[in-house]
Amino acid sequence: MASPQTVPCVNINDEFVQIVSLNVKQGDFVKNGDVVGTVETDKSLIDVAVEQDGYVLRIDCAPEQKARVGSVMFWLGAAADEPVPEVISTDAEARNAAGRPTAKARAMLKELNLDPARIPASGERLTAADIEDWLARTGKTGPAAALPSPSTRTEDSPTVSGELLELSAEAAGMLHTVTWHRDHAAAAYLELEYDPKPWEELAAHYATQQKLMLSPLLPLMAFRLAALARERTLINSTIVNARRFQYRPVNLGFTVQVGEMLYLTVVRETQDMDAGQFIAALGEVQRHAMAHKLPPQEASGATLSFSSMARWNVSRHIPILPPQTSLIVAHAAPKTSGKAVLGATYDHRVLTGFDVTQVLLALSRPLIPGMTGTYHPESTY
Amino acid sequence: MPFAQPRWLMYIMRMFIAEPMMSETLKINTREATLAGESTPWAQLRFTRNNHGKPQIGLDPENLYAFGHLIRLTEQLILEQFSRGLVSGTTHTCLGQELTAISVIRALDHPEDAVLSNHRNHGHFLAYSGDFAGLVAEIMGREAGVCGGWGGSQHLAYRHFHSNGVQGGMMGIGAGLALARKLRGSGGIVAAIIGDGTLGQGLLYEAMNLASVWKAPLLVVVENNGIAQTTDSRDTLGGGIEARGAAFGLHTWRFADDDPGFCRKVAAAVSEMRESRRPGFLVLDTRRMGPHSKGDDLRGQDELDTIRERDPLAALARQLPSATCETIEANNRAFVESVRLTANASPEATLDETPAHIFTLHVEQPLPGYPVMAAGSTVRQSLNSALRHLLETDSRTLLIGEDLHDPYGGAFKVTQGLSTGFPGRVISTPISEAGITGATIGLSLDGYLPVMEVMFADFLSLCMDQLFNHAVKFPGMFRDVAVPLVIRTPCGGRRGYGPTHSQSPEHLFTAVPGLTVVYGSHRHNLGELLTDAVLRWRYPVLFLEHKLLYGEKIDPADYLTLPAADDDVAAHLFPTLLRGATDPDVTLVSYGGMLAVAEAAARRLEDEEELAVEIVAPSLLSPLPRGSMIRHLAMRSRVVIVEESHHEFGVSAEIAAAMLESGFKGQLLRIGTPPIPIASARSLERSILPDEQSVVEQVLELF
Repeated sequence: MASPQTVPCVNINDEFVQIVSLNVKQGDFVKNGDVVGTVETDKSLIDVAVEQDGYVLRIDCAPEQKARVGSVMFWLGAAADEPVPEVISTDAEARNAAGRPTAKARAMLKELNLDPARIPASGERLTAADIEDWLARTGKTGPAAALPSPSTRTEDSPTVSGELLELSAEAAGMLHTVTWHRDHAAAAYLELEYDPKPWEELAAHYATQQKLMLSPLLPLMAFRLAALARERTLINSTIVNARRFQYRPVNLGFTVQVGEMLYLTVVRETQDMDAGQFIAALGEVQRHAMAHKLPPQEASGATLSFSSMARWNVSRHIPILPPQTSLIVAHAAPKTSGKAVLGATYDHRVLTGFDVTQVLLALSRPLIPGMTGTYHPESTY
Repeated sequence: MPFAQPRWLMYIMRMFIAEPMMSETLKINTREATLAGESTPWAQLRFTRNNHGKPQIGLDPENLYAFGHLIRLTEQLILEQFSRGLVSGTTHTCLGQELTAISVIRALDHPEDAVLSNHRNHGHFLAYSGDFAGLVAEIMGREAGVCGGWGGSQHLAYRHFHSNGVQGGMMGIGAGLALARKLRGSGGIVAAIIGDGTLGQGLLYEAMNLASVWKAPLLVVVENNGIAQTTDSRDTLGGGIEARGAAFGLHTWRFADDDPGFCRKVAAAVSEMRESRRPGFLVLDTRRMGPHSKGDDLRGQDELDTIRERDPLAALARQLPSATCETIEANNRAFVESVRLTANASPEATLDETPAHIFTLHVEQPLPGYPVMAAGSTVRQSLNSALRHLLETDSRTLLIGEDLHDPYGGAFKVTQGLSTGFPGRVISTPISEAGITGATIGLSLDGYLPVMEVMFADFLSLCMDQLFNHAVKFPGMFRDVAVPLVIRTPCGGRRGYGPTHSQSPEHLFTAVPGLTVVYGSHRHNLGELLTDAVLRWRYPVLFLEHKLLYGEKIDPADYLTLPAADDDVAAHLFPTLLRGATDPDVTLVSYGGMLAVAEAAARRLEDEEELAVEIVAPSLLSPLPRGSMIRHLAMRSRVVIVEESHHEFGVSAEIAAAMLESGFKGQLLRIGTPPIPIASARSLERSILPDEQSVVEQVLELF
């Protein structure tokens, strides 16, 4: 039976020694008393002598390493092909109460007020990933913090003098968004021109009918996009760990610029709303944004988004995909051209150019879903 | 010798003297002289001054009586001012001991002669500085005071004159000042003046032994007035006084101030001692005519009458024609009245703004060259290279401590090879932690850059008075005075060394106002930190090193430097590092040897518990980097401070308090050593000091 040669004790005060050299390799035959290496501490250097004859089966340490006194240096066996016994870790696992959720999982359970008994663990302990999977399967929304944190690359500080400043919560959110876009999505962009007049007329008509003070053009277009997601569910999904994650609700993200701050406001559960309810809900969210008082549920959890830069008269903008979404529509309407543009940044892992074109074409045609006696601009003339 | 260079001399002058105060003093004297020309009271006294303002007092009875009487009148003025409620604090006069004071000080005729005096210092000060108005105004707490009101009666400073209120507390400093004079070949000597009551103070004997071993020109002067405050000598003194000097091999003299040849004999002794360039021990028998302070004299009237009859000043007067005496006394009275008017006219000392600390921020120091470290250097090698580099590139550098010499090279081998490479500049000392700390202060006051090693941090408590009452007081009271000393010492346990060789006493020293406490780790560039502590920081630094890290390789791993904030003090020299999650579930704050434990715990928390862990590792514990580190921590949600020190009332408590003051709203936990001795048995020690497992367990309780 294989037996271990352990790291010798140099001095009762030193729990660790430095492996200076080890002059055996797997398959070597060594004899009791052979000096096969040296280890050292701060105070002294000693030889490592083999304690029995045998073949070196496996080496568990390397020169330059610090090794704990008593840990295995290498395994010896009577025959060169003897198996090395599986060592049951007495450390980590044994130290943790088996089955207890990890600390990260416990923090999530506490934050989401979840009963751990309802969530199956994939291994011995309940993990954060188990909770995320369960949330996904049951259609519940996790906290923003529970999303997989974007991989952060370690950067050296610049050599020019300066200081590190903490990001605001919003800027940190944007960093997260951009990093997710960079690291996870296979982002692509396409756009098409359309005639903005019919949509403008429809919006004007709707405003008159509903006695609205502000033009409902963009809210109506966003609502139309949300409605399209009910038919074309693909645009309301994402990829998580190589599987498609189909969102149940259609939570519509809508960019709002307030001063220097860009918010992605979110109207949740739009699938059960009609146009009026949607416009009211979006108006409410926008008011919160204007006051810089967006509650978390109105600033997170978008599944599909709409962004317009018509106000700034740009001819094109290519938005960043909000984390874990596959489509954001970009609306631009340069005043001088008489034409408007509908573009879209999309995650090519989920959607093809064809899919997105179909969505944009549909969106370019004015339609208020759910309204009886659908209004057709042509018919008014 | 670097001291031969004029620039360097200027540096010494600037460091030892509070220049603005000196010029203030001179201004007052000049004003007196200018206002009334030859008829000024001072001019009437007919004492000339040397270039430094020191009165030139002859040995003839007329001269001695005139100055002695002037001191007595000044002391009486001070008591009068006190009775009028014009004195700030307390005072101790030298009534009856005037001649004793004059005898030694008048004989110090070398420009680099230094005086360390005590609470009963007015006579010494006046004979050294001639600044009567500066003294009286100082005691009254006025702007025109020689120390701007910071010192009062007991803490006076003028050129190479310093006094302090801790009996015998400056003796080690005296040994250091004397060593500095010896090292630079100066003809100056150091007179350290104590009373016989201080013969019970241990530091005195450390200093006498050091001066003897170093053959340094320290003259210990004992003013033996037979009483310690209110306690008679028979209750405070065992054995003979002179025997004490002789025991340490000091040339010893004893004279009485009622001996008609007293001042001449003292002058001869001082001269002999100066010629010998060796330490000396001068006992001066005298009697205190007044109380210890004011109204606290318990002696009987018979004894007081005897003392009055013995009065050596009165005896001098009897040698003079009465007309001479009357002229002297009248002139002195006129002069002291002018002193009173000058002091009364000076406004109360005020501060434009109460300083937040003693440090002058952003003092431009030239960037030093740094030692070149071989790749893979250990902490020990890094520190050794830095010390070698300092010795090679800056002749002011001295290493001082126990057993530093080769082949031993210090208990943890940090100074190995240096005594061989730099003979005379690596000084192995007697076991006298307080004494060598004092000597280190003296050396730094005199322009050297001493780096002292204390063999185990546990012994730092022996150095405490020197740091707490002396090292930080000089730059604290006098902004221009630098005390650029560094004390290095190994801390920490996990080696089974037991209760007095295993402690991490940083918490005691971070509490010393004005002491800079640095405790780096193998994640810092320790060689650079030490170089900066020596060359770029003109204040006393305690530089802590963990025993277990000496063999670790210097490796910054994935740590980044947290930039110092503008309002941080010294954080640009002694940075805080951080690594790990930018949006952490938990932040571990740790330093020194505990950092390795915190890192191991962090790895397990990350691997086994899926936690995003950030580690913040300061190297500067005091002054606390509030602008950078505390501000950073205040934004975190869970912070755990892990320290090896006994943490109650400690560094972690201060960090936690500062975080709360900065708006911290999260969960906080402190992990450290409980307030019990650190046992020797490894099994016991393991359960007392926080380790990886206990840190993990305690952090998990937060989740």
